[in-house]
Amino acid sequence: MTRRIELGLLYSRSGSYSLISEACRSGALAAIAMVNADPALGLTFVPVERDPGGNVDLYGPLCEEILRDTAARHVVGCVTSWSRKEVIPTVEKFGGTLWYAVPYEGFEASDHVVYTHACPNQHLLPLLDWAMPAHGQRAWLTGSNYIWGWEMNRLARERITAAGGQVLGERYLPIGSREVGRMIEEIRFARPDFILNNLIGPSSYEFLAAFRRLGQDDPQFAPDRCPVLSCNLTECELPALGEAAEGLVSAGPYFRGTAGWPGPGNFGSSHEAAAFAAVRELARLLAQRPGAEDLPLRRLLAEDTRPGGPGGGIVDRDTHHTVLPAIIARVEGGAFRPLRQIAPMAGDPYLTRSRNQPQAPLLRVVS
Amino acid sequence: MIRRPIRIPNLGGARALILHRPHPTVQALSRQLTAIGLEVATAWPELGPEGLAADYVFFDADMGHDGMFPWPPGAPPVPMIALIGSEAPGRIEWSLRAGAHAQLLKPVGDNGAYSALLVARDAFDAQHALSAEISDLRRRLDERQTLVRAVTLLAARGKSETEAYAQLRQMAMAWRISLEDAAARIVASRDGGKDGDDRRDRG
Repeated sequence: MTRRIELGLLYSRSGSYSLISEACRSGALAAIAMVNADPALGLTFVPVERDPGGNVDLYGPLCEEILRDTAARHVVGCVTSWSRKEVIPTVEKFGGTLWYAVPYEGFEASDHVVYTHACPNQHLLPLLDWAMPAHGQRAWLTGSNYIWGWEMNRLARERITAAGGQVLGERYLPIGSREVGRMIEEIRFARPDFILNNLIGPSSYEFLAAFRRLGQDDPQFAPDRCPVLSCNLTECELPALGEAAEGLVSAGPYFRGTAGWPGPGNFGSSHEAAAFAAVRELARLLAQRPGAEDLPLRRLLAEDTRPGGPGGGIVDRDTHHTVLPAIIARVEGGAFRPLRQIAPMAGDPYLTRSRNQPQAPLLRVVS
Repeated sequence: MIRRPIRIPNLGGARALILHRPHPTVQALSRQLTAIGLEVATAWPELGPEGLAADYVFFDADMGHDGMFPWPPGAPPVPMIALIGSEAPGRIEWSLRAGAHAQLLKPVGDNGAYSALLVARDAFDAQHALSAEISDLRRRLDERQTLVRAVTLLAARGKSETEAYAQLRQMAMAWRISLEDAAARIVASRDGGKDGDDRRDRG
C-alpha cells in the first residue's frame, strides 16, 4: 500500500530573493514528482505549501502552521539564514525537521536541520584559495546587512589577513537597498584586486550593474583584472543580471553541465539540485519504514540500518551536512565555465575538521 | 583598558569533559559538542586526574561541590562552564567561586554550547592576562625602594638626581631589562653582593 506523506514547503514566491526561492521550489517539486512516480518507494509526498512572501517575520508562524495543523514533520524551505534561524525554534518545539538547500555561512549544526548545500569550507575558502594567487591579496568586502554577509566577511577577513593580504574596505547595505553609488566611488579610489560580494537580491543586481559600468570606464575594474566573487550566485539569477553577469566568478557544488554532483540529474542550478537532493534523500530514508515519517531526525538517521543506509545516505550524522565538490566557475557568454574543480569534501560547519589538516605537500622534481 | 580582539579558538579535536550525572542534558550537550568537532568525555561524581588533560570543563552547578575538581577551589587550569538548573543565589555564588567563566541553562537543547565555549575561552584568557599583568605591576611596586637606592648611589658620584635617573634609564635600555631590574643590579653590585645574589634572575 502506498503511504501518503505530507511534506511542508516554505519558500517565498515574491520578495527580494524570489529567484532563489523559485529555483529551490522547482527542485523540490521535481523530486516530489519523481518520488510519486516510483512505485518501488511505496510512498507519495503531498506538498503542504506556505508562502512567507519574503517577510522574515512570517517564517516562524507559517512553519508552525504546517507542523501544528498538518501531519507534515518535514519542511523543505528557507533561503536566507535569517529566516532559517527564525524557523529553528519552531521545528525544535514540534520535533520537526527543516531541509535547507541554500549555501550558508556555517557555524550551525542543529539537531533539527539538514543542510544539503555548501558551507564555507565548501565555497568561501576554496574560492579565496583560488582568488588570491590568481588576482592579488587586496580585497574589498561587501554584503547585505544580516548574518550571511557579516559572517562571510568576517571569515574572509580572517583568511585574507592570515595569508598576508589586506582588506581595503567593508560595506553593508540593508536588504533590498539599491544605494550602491557611495560604495562604487570608494572602490574606485581603493583599487582592490578583487571584490567579495555577499549582497543579495536587488542590492546585488544594482551593484553588479554599476560595477560593470565602472569597468567600462576604467580597465582596472574590468572582470579579468578585478573580478567580483560570490558564493551564492547560480544560474537562477543570471536572467536578472543580463550582461552585468559576464566575468563574475562563483563557487558552488554544481553548475549546469559540470560533473561531480552526487547523484544523477540535470539541474538548472545548484539551488535546484540541493532541494531536489533533500527530497530524494528524505524519500530514501522513509521508504519501507512505516511510521518513520513521525520520527525525529536523530532517530530517522540513526535507525537507518538498511543496505544503502549508513554510508549510503548523504547526511552526516554528527553535523547533518553533506559531502559536496567545490567548483569555481566564471560566467562566460551567459553560462558558467569551470575554472577549478575540487574533489567532494564533507561539510565542516565549524571549520574544526579541515582547517588543521596539513596542506598536501607541493611536490617538486629535484634533479 | 584596550579590549583585546576576540580570538576564535580552534576547537577541532579539543577535549571537553562534562561533569554531570547521566541525564538527557548530557546527551544534548554531547551531541552539540561532537557536531562542533570536540572530543567529549563524561565524569561523575568526581573529576579524576583526567580533568587536567581537558581543554574545557562543563560542570553541574546544581549538585556540585568543591571536592569534585582535581585542583584547588576556584583555581581551574581550563575554561569552566556551569550547567545551571536551579537559578538559586547560593548555587550561582558557588559556581562563580568554583571559577565558572560562562554558563549554560538546563535543560540544554539544540544550541548554546558554541557561544558558551567562546565566551568561556575569552573570559579565561582575559583573566590570565590580567593576573600576569597585575603580578608584574605588583613586583614593580615592590621595587620602588630599590629604585630610590639606585638613583641615590648614582647621584653620590656628583650627579644631580635628574641626571642619575636618566643614566639609570639608559643602563636599563642598554641591558634590555626593566628600570626596576637595572636598579636591582646597581644596588646589588654596590652592596658587594650583600643582597644581590637573590636578584640574579632579574637579568
